[in-house]
Amino acid sequence: MAYLSNTSVVIDAILTKKGRELLSKNDGSFQITQFSLSDDEVDYTLYNPFHPSGSAFYGEAIENMPVMQAFPMDNEIMKYKLVTLPRGTAKLPVLDIGLAIVTLKQGSSISITPQTLNYQGATSTFEQSGYVATLGDVRTASTFNGVGINTAEATAMNTTTTIGTNVSKTVIGTSINITATTVNTLFGTNTILYTLLTITGRDSGARLTVPVQITKTS
Amino acid sequence: MSFTTLDPTDFVVSSDSITAPAWSSNQPTLTTFYTASATSTGAITSDAFYLNVYQTSSAAAGAAIQFSIAYGNATGLGAPYYNIGVAGVTPSLTTYKQYKTMVYGPAVTGNQGFNFGGANTSSSDIWVINVDRNRYKESLFPGTFNIRLTGPSGELRLTDNSNDSNVISYLDCGRVFNIVSGSNGNASNLSVTNQISAGQTASGSYGFFLPDIGAIILNPRALALSSVYGGIGLTPSTTTNPTTPNSSVSNTTLYQAISSSAFFQLNSQETVSSNYVFVRIKNAQYNYTANPTFISGSGNLVYSTLINSPQTYITTVGMYNTSNELLAVGKLSRPLVKDFTKEALIRVKLDF
Repeated sequence: MAYLSNTSVVIDAILTKKGRELLSKNDGSFQITQFSLSDDEVDYTLYNPFHPSGSAFYGEAIENMPVMQAFPMDNEIMKYKLVTLPRGTAKLPVLDIGLAIVTLKQGSSISITPQTLNYQGATSTFEQSGYVATLGDVRTASTFNGVGINTAEATAMNTTTTIGTNVSKTVIGTSINITATTVNTLFGTNTILYTLLTITGRDSGARLTVPVQITKTS
Repeated sequence: MSFTTLDPTDFVVSSDSITAPAWSSNQPTLTTFYTASATSTGAITSDAFYLNVYQTSSAAAGAAIQFSIAYGNATGLGAPYYNIGVAGVTPSLTTYKQYKTMVYGPAVTGNQGFNFGGANTSSSDIWVINVDRNRYKESLFPGTFNIRLTGPSGELRLTDNSNDSNVISYLDCGRVFNIVSGSNGNASNLSVTNQISAGQTASGSYGFFLPDIGAIILNPRALALSSVYGGIGLTPSTTTNPTTPNSSVSNTTLYQAISSSAFFQLNSQETVSSNYVFVRIKNAQYNYTANPTFISGSGNLVYSTLINSPQTYITTVGMYNTSNELLAVGKLSRPLVKDFTKEALIRVKLDF
């Protein structure tokens, strides 16, 4: 007989860039109310259900992986969230926006309405809490907002304006509106601007990243 | 669902007192003492007020101020006049009144000076050892103050009397302990002529140990006594309006007394507040993942064995607000296996 371990796993957390921003605001917005888990860094192709030593060793290559330290960029961490689904689930939720790439001409607009496939028994559904969308470089859009979710936090995020530099912007909605910039100077000698649009289902945790191209017209 | 709401009982705030050596590189005892070159301009500069002491040559890499020495005199002796037309108003007077205000506040007014007890209930002068804020962090840790001073009449070993005091005294600067001859917070049993109590002299205690403002005030009247009376014959300069505006002879006198003995022990104390968040993961939760290597493009699991026995690996814990904004993040040292037969409890520590 041996002693059972009564210790819990202890980890030291760091504040993210967003956490520091909200803490410095001192307006009560820095309030941890929920948690989520992710398996960033894990490549499940290393999982080997045919391991000659048996099922206890299927995850051997993953379990022995040293994990990197946390970093504060909130857009680059917690990318692949773990989700709670009924046992026997064969298909996981994935997002679909009907486009593999978002292509816009200067000044033109698009409204993107994401759908979640394979979620809660439905082939296709719109998530009740909406979607979080992050545009990698907010300068490429003269308008970037979310509509359809009218909670206080969604309204606050959709009305936040960031001035100046190459920073991302995050909005919440059931539909995401983008109007391409008309500013020529951003293009320099190029005819196309590139950035990324990342959309995450607020309920399912499913995530989709699509490239965005803005084409110069004048 | 990929978020779990935390319960109020999942949060614990803990304040822990951390003590550590005060000196740079966590040296328990400071044994080497250096000063920087004095400035040589004609005007009165900071050198006339205090003398910074380093643990190594002030020009060396890693040199940091450990403490400063200052001398205060109630009548302005030992320092040059600011203005020749205003006699007696000098840096030493400024220092004396500065510390008198800080230590006693409104309780002592007028010409009443520092009260070290014995025959020195209104001391005309003080020496101050002001510990650098980066060294003492939040406060000095009583009972760890040990300093040796060498003067013309020998060596003296001083400490605070915190371990002898059943009742803590307070002044306007917070806690006050007497400085006595002894070690590690206890007065020595050696008796000296005319002492008023153990470890003290006829001129009262050797000074005040003020942990809450990071200052140590020494009583020059006790240090000036001969060895038979418990002193070491160490006397500050009381020259009227000395001609060297940019140095204080008295500061240098105490510096040499400390430097000659090469023994100064002191610990810092600080309270670190930590937020602990207990993340409780139940057996039915978080057994699937949105990781693109876990599924094919259409959402099918990559291995059929994962359908009824899914297995995920937790590497990261994210703490969110109600807007789903990621506020804090922690990583595990190695992936933690999660399936329908396992539950996990992760304690996340957030320091402020």
